[in-house]
Amino acid sequence: MKNVIEINDLHKFYDKGSHALKGINLNVGEGEFCILLGLSGSGKSTLLRCLNKLIDSTSGEIRICDEDVIKASGKTLRFIRRQIGMIFQQFNLIKNLTVLTNVLSGKLGFVSLVHSVTFSYHQADIEAAMENLKRVGLEKFAFKKVKNLSGGQQQRVAIARALMQNPSVILADEPVASLDPATADNVMKYLGELNKKDNITVICSLHFLSLARKYGSRVVALKDGVVVFEGKPCEIDEKKFKEIYGEEAEEVEIR
Amino acid sequence: MKKTEINSILKVFVTDLLFWTYFFGCVYYLIHHWSGLILNTVIVVIAGFSFTIIFSALGISIGRTVHLPTEKTKLKWYKTFWAWSFIAILFLTLMVGWNMVGVNPYKFFTKFGNARGIMTGLFNPNIDIIGICLSALAETIYLALLATLFAIPFAFVLSFFAARNLMPKTLLGNTVYLVIRTIATLFRSIEAIVWAIIFSVWVGIGPFAGMLALMVHSIAALTKLYSEQLENIDDGPVEAITATGASTLQVWIFAIIPQIISPYLAFTIYRWDINVRMATIVGFVGGGGIGLLLLQQQQLLRWQNVGLIIWMIAAVVWIMDMTSAKVREKLLEK
Ligand SMILES: Nc1ncnc2c1ncn2[C@@H]1O[C@H](COP(=O)(O)OP(=O)(O)O)[C@@H](O)[C@H]1O
Ligand SMILES: [Mg+2]
Repeated sequence: MKNVIEINDLHKFYDKGSHALKGINLNVGEGEFCILLGLSGSGKSTLLRCLNKLIDSTSGEIRICDEDVIKASGKTLRFIRRQIGMIFQQFNLIKNLTVLTNVLSGKLGFVSLVHSVTFSYHQADIEAAMENLKRVGLEKFAFKKVKNLSGGQQQRVAIARALMQNPSVILADEPVASLDPATADNVMKYLGELNKKDNITVICSLHFLSLARKYGSRVVALKDGVVVFEGKPCEIDEKKFKEIYGEEAEEVEIR
Repeated sequence: MKKTEINSILKVFVTDLLFWTYFFGCVYYLIHHWSGLILNTVIVVIAGFSFTIIFSALGISIGRTVHLPTEKTKLKWYKTFWAWSFIAILFLTLMVGWNMVGVNPYKFFTKFGNARGIMTGLFNPNIDIIGICLSALAETIYLALLATLFAIPFAFVLSFFAARNLMPKTLLGNTVYLVIRTIATLFRSIEAIVWAIIFSVWVGIGPFAGMLALMVHSIAALTKLYSEQLENIDDGPVEAITATGASTLQVWIFAIIPQIISPYLAFTIYRWDINVRMATIVGFVGGGGIGLLLLQQQQLLRWQNVGLIIWMIAAVVWIMDMTSAKVREKLLEK
């Protein structure tokens, strides 16, 4: 299996001196659905943001689709980012614009500045946007303002936006943490489908072991910026769970 | 450890010195005012300094109460030095202020007759000059509108460079941010009326001078309001659009502008509203429009004309106020 993501000895220091990532080594193969587990503050968001250089890494090496992320800048960086869709806990949509405009913004990395300034999208892009909205079951909402949608619907819009990039990788930072359990499973189902049908490699941070077991092909657990577990979801037992989340933690099941 | 100690001793000393110098300054002013006695002002400083030293030596110090943590005392308030010095300073300040301003209730209550002319004018406005009045008003409204419109592009562009979160944390970024912020604050603190004096010399008395004055002031004020709005935007969309591979300019256009457009419009309309009001004042010092007309008629003592002008200004300000409040409400509702 070909590695899509290769991370070698990655360190991240924040300005205030906190050492958020302490030498991460991780390879993710094509088509994997990799779940990131770990307590709040363990470094999940930091790791995901280093992968598309939303934040600068301090040292180490990251290769995505054979491109060096850490050294990249300007056009090269934009080209790399184009291949990586990203989904956030807070959806990060522009709330007072329509669903369709939000989905179309996923194409910004491909269009020229002039095109984007005049808001004149190619007809093909608009069709693609409608197609992607259909995939997440929201084609009826295309012309509604995002702020009028529910949380689960907004996250599906965010997925459609990521799909506009035809990404090889999707990074999802706690995509279901602000959703109720039923909606959470529904959103994960769409991510799972993209992974299976489109062969998109997914790295997704989560807190629910049940969802990890259901959708993940692999689990990586972080603790204080260090990888403390790596393996199949089914290998996580009571003892491993307590190692990752601390002695007092009880597994919360969601189905 | 040492450094903080010296620091707090210094703070206590300076506070005491300021307190006593102000105290004797007030006393000096009152003595001078009542007896006409002219003494060397150095006395005030010397007295302030001596009392600082003497009272600190006695262990009585305002600075210590203000700056150092004090143990709870069981003294009633009227037994503390703190309370009495506060009362003394308040009393002295009132006395000095009263004399300096020349407060005179007697005049207020007995000289109402002097204002009879303007009062009669107000209740018998001269409708005949409504034509001139309307054209001067139009001048004022257009002047304010142009000042606002011309200020928008400048303030819009500047605000991006004056927003902390958008400027890169490099030397260049910080310098640009600081320079623009400082100039904006400086220009804003110079009243429009002062700008009007400058421009009425520059381009001559008339509405154009008034427009320039309001424009400069509006650019400074809008830059500040706009950039504060930018500093309050939600970073989430910025992150998300950056992650799609968009360029910096595209991020600004797609993730930032949609978030700020309605507050920007609301602020701008509010600014127009303020500008119409200020345009009247600015007219007084050479900015043209209704203000100039008011000044002329007042100097000619045509109180009935003044009456009409005042009513019309009030009406315009009231209408602008109402509509701008309505529009802003609509724009800001999420
Ligand atoms: N912008 C920042 N500045 C300084 N420290 C940060 C910043 N963001 C995160 N950290 C620190 O880095 C560590 C990892 O945080 P994060 O990656 O957000 O963890 P997680 O997403 O797993 O909750 C935490 O200790 C956090 O305090
Ligand atoms: Mg996080």
